[in-house]
Amino acid sequence: MRSAVSVILSSSVPDNKMSQPDYEQTAHDHAALLLLLKPIGTQTKQKTVTKIGERIIKSGSRFTVLDSTGITREILARFVREHPVENNDWSEFQTHRRLLGLITIGKYDSQTELDELCRLHETLKVKYSATLYDSRAILFGPVESENLNEPPKPFTTPSNFKTRALFYADETCPDLEAQIAECLNSLFWILESKRLERSREKVDRVPLLLAPFEKKDFIGLDLDSGTMRKRCVGRMTKHLGDLCLQAGLPADALYHYNSAANTLQAVKDWLWLGAAFEGLCAASVLVLYPNMCRSLPLQRNSSLQEGSPGKQRRESQALNTLPPSPNIEAIKAEMPQILPPEEIAKKYREAIVHYSKHKNAGVIETEASFKATRISIEQNCTLQAASFLNNVVFINLNISEHEKIERFTTLSELFTAFGFTRKASFCLRLAATRHVSQNNPNPDWQQCYNLMLQAAPGLKLSLDPVEMPSDGLRGWPTLQIQLIQELVVAAKRMGNPALATRHMTFLLQTMYDHMSPTERKESALQLQAVSQQCEGAPVPLVLDSGMVIPPANLTNIPKTKSFTLKNLQPHLQPQKIERIKEDHGPFLFTPINFGSLERKNTLKSKMDYLWVEGDICEVSMQLINPLPFELHVSNMRLLTNGIVFESIPETITLAAESGPMAVTLAGTPKEVGDLEILGFSTHTLGVKSNCRLRHMERMPHPQYSVEVVPALPKIDVSTSLPQTASFSSGENIVTSASISLYGGESAEFTVTLTNVGVIPIEMIEVSVQSALDTLTEGKIFKWSEENLKTQLPLLPGTSASFTIYLYAVADFISPVSRNDMSSGAYLSQPSSLMSQSGPSSLPSRLSSPSHHTKRQSELTSSFRSGLSSHSGHSSLASTRLSKLAVPLHASNIIEGQLKIKYSGGGGLTAGYCRISSVYVTIEMLPSVQITSWDVLPAETPTQFYLVLDVTNMTNHEMELHYTQSKCIYMEGREPCRIPVPVNRCPLNKLSSQKEISDAELEKVCSEHIASLVDLKWQLLGTETTGKATLAGITLTQDMLDLVRMSPLQWEITINDSAVKAQEELTCGLGECISVGIGVCNALERPLRDLILSINFYQDHHNGVNNYRLDTRLSTAGANKVMLPMLEEHGRAHHECRVVFFTAGQYKVDIQCSSSESTPSTPTLCSELMHAGHTWRYIPPIEITVDGC
Amino acid sequence: MAVCVAVIGKDNSPKYIRCSDETAALQFHYKVHTSIDIIEEKLNTGNKMAADVRELFLGLLFSTEEHKIFGYATNTKIKFIVVLQSTNASLRDNEVRMIFRKLHSAYANAVCNPFYVPGDQIQSKGFDTAVMEIMGVS
Repeated sequence: MRSAVSVILSSSVPDNKMSQPDYEQTAHDHAALLLLLKPIGTQTKQKTVTKIGERIIKSGSRFTVLDSTGITREILARFVREHPVENNDWSEFQTHRRLLGLITIGKYDSQTELDELCRLHETLKVKYSATLYDSRAILFGPVESENLNEPPKPFTTPSNFKTRALFYADETCPDLEAQIAECLNSLFWILESKRLERSREKVDRVPLLLAPFEKKDFIGLDLDSGTMRKRCVGRMTKHLGDLCLQAGLPADALYHYNSAANTLQAVKDWLWLGAAFEGLCAASVLVLYPNMCRSLPLQRNSSLQEGSPGKQRRESQALNTLPPSPNIEAIKAEMPQILPPEEIAKKYREAIVHYSKHKNAGVIETEASFKATRISIEQNCTLQAASFLNNVVFINLNISEHEKIERFTTLSELFTAFGFTRKASFCLRLAATRHVSQNNPNPDWQQCYNLMLQAAPGLKLSLDPVEMPSDGLRGWPTLQIQLIQELVVAAKRMGNPALATRHMTFLLQTMYDHMSPTERKESALQLQAVSQQCEGAPVPLVLDSGMVIPPANLTNIPKTKSFTLKNLQPHLQPQKIERIKEDHGPFLFTPINFGSLERKNTLKSKMDYLWVEGDICEVSMQLINPLPFELHVSNMRLLTNGIVFESIPETITLAAESGPMAVTLAGTPKEVGDLEILGFSTHTLGVKSNCRLRHMERMPHPQYSVEVVPALPKIDVSTSLPQTASFSSGENIVTSASISLYGGESAEFTVTLTNVGVIPIEMIEVSVQSALDTLTEGKIFKWSEENLKTQLPLLPGTSASFTIYLYAVADFISPVSRNDMSSGAYLSQPSSLMSQSGPSSLPSRLSSPSHHTKRQSELTSSFRSGLSSHSGHSSLASTRLSKLAVPLHASNIIEGQLKIKYSGGGGLTAGYCRISSVYVTIEMLPSVQITSWDVLPAETPTQFYLVLDVTNMTNHEMELHYTQSKCIYMEGREPCRIPVPVNRCPLNKLSSQKEISDAELEKVCSEHIASLVDLKWQLLGTETTGKATLAGITLTQDMLDLVRMSPLQWEITINDSAVKAQEELTCGLGECISVGIGVCNALERPLRDLILSINFYQDHHNGVNNYRLDTRLSTAGANKVMLPMLEEHGRAHHECRVVFFTAGQYKVDIQCSSSESTPSTPTLCSELMHAGHTWRYIPPIEITVDGC
Repeated sequence: MAVCVAVIGKDNSPKYIRCSDETAALQFHYKVHTSIDIIEEKLNTGNKMAADVRELFLGLLFSTEEHKIFGYATNTKIKFIVVLQSTNASLRDNEVRMIFRKLHSAYANAVCNPFYVPGDQIQSKGFDTAVMEIMGVS
């Protein structure tokens, strides 16, 4: 559009300066009467002026006049606050630039002031005298005047004051509107008269109208040439058009403009042709869009210059754009010269092109461009509007910086009006830079800053970091960064370091990802420098304009890699005290999850553990310093919501560009309830920031919440035992204790609990947890809970202690060895000699070389007879046992946790407790072991001998007390055999059940033995003592017959005299001895098929019994008697006689055997059942036959 | 030749911008940025008409004494902007269209990369080369 002609034509320096373009002008203003509304004097209040001004504008902007021909004319008036007198110079060119009226507003209290006001008013009149038609002075005085147009009584106006003044006492001034209307009316009539005057002028007599700068161009030209005449006529016609338009005759105006355009085009008078075109457009617009006026009364506190091409227009444009065609047809019939809407812009464009040919008409061109833009906006032709505005930028006006700023702001406003926000903000930014440009004599950083701030939205830059998208894809980062940096500079220069810090922080927070490492570093350093003047804090800043700058936070410096809440240490974690469950109905579990979706989401950030009031709770974080210099972060605290939380400030220093560094933030909850952790605060680079997780990238949860339970006490646990070197760090273990015990040994240790908290402990429970079964556990650990309970409550700082008794439970019976003894040894040594009795391996063991032979040989005598002939069975049974048995280790480590559950205070009420555990390790050393055992008949029928093979498993010398009075001395690792006399198991123990299986029988007997036999050992040289029990000893069927009391009671008589145990019987050689045997059944059931046998034998005391005594004695009477049935408590008697042939010692083995077992008993353990019972008379009777 | 080539996403954020003179980059950023306004306007008015026959080439958006800014919008609202020097009068409309066609195909190739996430910045050597060629820098 802009042609190069402008450059050529406008090369000369303009002598005229209409240097103040009226950017607010609209096309409608072409039709308006121009009035100056000016406050004068010093007393006038701004508020009054505004109020009065608004009233005047409201009433006077548009009014109707009935003209001489009776037609109603609509007249527009425009009120301005400033009107440079130079603009009047253009009044011939365009009459609406002419100031027609003057209204001054003043206030006086004294005569002097009144005089001054009058003087000022007159001065103004003189200033605009060239064009002024009429003036009014609105004067507010201290008293009401009787006559409105005359001053109140004591006051007088100076003689040279020839203006119609309106004297009011207060601001209500009821007839103001009427007075103004009267004034405007008079203006109209003067104008109308001028118009008529002009219209009547002769065409050939008209003078040449000139634009101000043209004056010298026409000097010396022939005014009478044909061209010149046409020029004069054309210009005058155009002038007449202006007057008609102002006088409310748009139809006439259109006619005049049209003819003027034709004339002027012919003579190539471009400037005036442009004006004619513009007039044509203005008149057309006035007719087509009568409502396109600025809505003046809406403006508050603003000068009249600042019209609003604002939003309401854009909103209303839907209604006004391209009015319906029938309407335009009708108008066209009335005014044939009117331009259709689409033509207006075209004509305007032409006009602007014509103006542009004259450099001195720059202001006119600029104004025309703005006017055309406004029309285009009204027509909703955005691109057209944009092109008009673009043209404005090219117009090279020699105007002051201030006007440039105004130009840019107006441009921006207009761009905004049709939605070109980017252009608008570009213009605003330019305007801002003009405020502080080098050419500007008085730079205003405040204004610059404000405009910069306004430019931000156009760049999609919101100063609230929350609104900025984290990916930054919305706007143009480069431009945004530029703007923020400019804001920083402006804020700094205008002396608001707080703002500078804020913007700099914002830059680093939001634009961090778009900056190069160097930029980051520079920005960070800059921030550090800026914040030295004013520290940044996360509070909104309120500007003077009322604008709020939201807080910005350095969430990227340092960068947070992870943020996790930490549970308390295991032993401090509150545990729910389990109570007896109340009955909540039949349903223990419901699969229905109410509101499943939302719940899941909220649960995610809810911690499944608890924090305790008054205890230090921690959050661990990993921070990264992305900057290439050392970063000092101080005063780091947790940001919380909900209950009161006292955060402990933390200060860290991160080395340059250092990787993730673990930081722990701690604090103490001071109340009970839900605590929300929102993030943390930092103080770095001189800026305090609240880094909320919600606003940070890559944070899984926007916040965390954790429940805080009431305060709980805290204890310190110590034991009297040494600690374990290393123990498996299980849950809530606070200390450990270790001890070594020999099997059967007892020990005790003290556990001391010290209350190190602030809450008295009201509840303590002690329990033991181990991998052992409860029974064994109870044997190993024993303590007195009552003793502990008496020490409660445990006040802070005090301690309580209790004793734990330990007992090393060990299995002293070794089934493995037994197996070895009974099967292996037997098979390896088939002793055919002992075929009958079939002794087990015990005798063979005796022959094993050892220095204990003597002790062992003492026993051998009693061994022999008792051995059963059913070793096959027993070996089978024991093989089975051996399979089940666990091989014993050299030492056995028992690990147990002593759990101390304690609580007190509020925590107890809320049902929480803490658990501290002591890790107890007991090393069980083997002490003694019974490798094998057997039973032997004792010398008395009420007792039997339990023969034990005992091994000292220790390396120490040991003393083993196996009865009250007997004890043996054992070397380390030495086995030895001991006979323990045990009372036989009385029948009444067994008879409680009528029919008992053999397994039960064995159990009863085993328990009987265990209860009677206690092996007390002592390690010599140490104080270590212990007790071995025989619990778990197994007995074969044959052993059982010995262990329990015999069911048969014997009554033996020799030569009719009863035999007593251990009695020495002697007889002579060849003497006949009668042996009477009475058997009595002590059982409560009959015994069947008993065989009573009497055998004589000689004991050679070397393990051999000689039963072949045919040559040495002779018996008379049966030595075997069948007793088919022996009733309960029944008796049987048998007698036989014997004669000894050789002298010597004989023994009589009297036994009664039953081939059948109890037939009625269900044969559960068939092998054992089949075994017949053999009851012997114990001890065998000894008869010594004396030689002669 | 072109002095600046830009690709703008449908959310009007820059996806790619390259200037022949990196020192004046900011100036070009502003120019390209402000011309989005005009593109938007052109696209809006275009919608009123039959969208299917819409011309992708938007023509001259804006001209300054130094530069002429041309625009082009794909059917997916990806905008290409090319800034040409005003002094280069030899460039005719058709040639500008050719430039855009080249740019469009280069862009299509770049986003065909399966590793390109739509909406991300364009970082492609191939596209760079094509742009350099358009700017006559290659």
